[in-house]
Amino acid sequence: MAELTVFGFRQGTSFLHQLDVRFKLIFLVFISLASLKTQVAGLSLLTLILVVALIDVRVSLGSILRDLRYASVLLIFIFIARVLSTSGSAFVEFKIFSVSREGLYEGALVCWRLVIVIMAGLAFVLTTRPSEIKAAVEWILRPFKFVPAKRIATMMSLVVRFMPVIFQEAKETLDAQRARGVENRKNPVYRLVKLGIPILRRTFERADKLALAMEARCYSENRTDPRLSSGIKDWTALFFVVFLCLITII
Amino acid sequence: MKIIEIEDLSHRFADGTYGLKNINLTIEKGTFVVIAGQNGSGKTTLLRHLNGLLLPTTGKVRVAGISVPENLNSTRQMVGMVFQDADSQIVGETVSDDVAFGPENLCLGRGEVKRRVDLALDLVNLLDFKDQKPHLLSGGEKRRLAIAGILAMEPEVLVFDEPFASLDYPGIKQVLKQIISLHQAGHTILVAVHDLEKVIAHTDRLVIMNHGKLVKDGLPDQLIGELEAFGIRQPCAYRLGVEVQSWLN
Repeated sequence: MAELTVFGFRQGTSFLHQLDVRFKLIFLVFISLASLKTQVAGLSLLTLILVVALIDVRVSLGSILRDLRYASVLLIFIFIARVLSTSGSAFVEFKIFSVSREGLYEGALVCWRLVIVIMAGLAFVLTTRPSEIKAAVEWILRPFKFVPAKRIATMMSLVVRFMPVIFQEAKETLDAQRARGVENRKNPVYRLVKLGIPILRRTFERADKLALAMEARCYSENRTDPRLSSGIKDWTALFFVVFLCLITII
Repeated sequence: MKIIEIEDLSHRFADGTYGLKNINLTIEKGTFVVIAGQNGSGKTTLLRHLNGLLLPTTGKVRVAGISVPENLNSTRQMVGMVFQDADSQIVGETVSDDVAFGPENLCLGRGEVKRRVDLALDLVNLLDFKDQKPHLLSGGEKRRLAIAGILAMEPEVLVFDEPFASLDYPGIKQVLKQIISLHQAGHTILVAVHDLEKVIAHTDRLVIMNHGKLVKDGLPDQLIGELEAFGIRQPCAYRLGVEVQSWLN
């Protein structure tokens, strides 16, 4: 039985599952924008609400942290870059490098904001089928006649569809390398190269097979999309999210 | 009535090697045909020409009188293909989403999609799993899900590429039972295998491929003695000199 990553739709009855996908897309944009403008208090509030939402989706926070451990490498790089590029009162000095209190604060804040965007994206992906994303993107782009809405929507839904495939391939490749003692090699560049190339190759092979299977079942841009319908729940949630974003910014 | 007609079919890959050479094959509607051959003999390449996943370099492929390369959509609807690796065939996020994928691609109404999904899941006894994640199913259940995904498109011909690969004994029995009941329901069945053991007791006709060529075509009883010459293992029962039995007995 395949071990699953958290990245992918999960059938459920949570509040987010019940919302219209178009509203969820808007919430994702609003929360991401608000997190860029807000400070510690606002970020704490947004984090709390997202954690509650993820618990409601019934996904284990432990498994999220485990699957996101690779993103932590990116966050560490961003943190270091921010710390070293922000001037202020020196906290630690070493040769030409100087770490300021303001740098540490700014670095932590930027990483926190990114974590919020990731959490919001995760909550969206966990509660929305790729076919619904396609239908919503198509609906949003409909007024813009010059934009190839169907093609963009199809590409977006395929990206979401392939995300768990990539993570699963990474996990399996890493396990296979662990079984052959890759952890004894301490050079991170060597390990990254030895991991990256097979993952890319396997992902492309798997994507190729999936594309073939989709083609065999007549896949095209024109298909029966899910019916989108909004109700009182969606409008109430929109009011709440707008209110939340405003108070976090102010 | 002829459902599949293949005339002088050859397929050349991009690297210049031939996958198929001058294949001529006609299949009658409602028959159960097994295509046997060792790995790399061209079985999968041949099957992929039946629904246009591969197109002929030379020659003709027709399904129900319709030329495959010129009518890809309608022939893909007529010829449902179950791939060797069920995992890579799963497209949907839940069992019912996966089965709905094909009918949705045919732009059917939502009511019709639901009707077909329920019917197909009922046929393969997976109706109780409709909201489950497909990756959590067992090997045999995944293969049955792949069959349901094809059945929902209401095809005339069902093509199975190594349907028993990497399945345990209960999984093999489940899938074999399913294939036989689909044949009994009137579908034309094509099964490609490298090991005839599980399926030979049920087939009407045996086609043997070797190095991209169709080398033998006839009744299983007539060809069973010649299998080893083409790298195909003879069924155990035949080696022991007893009658070949179904795996379902």
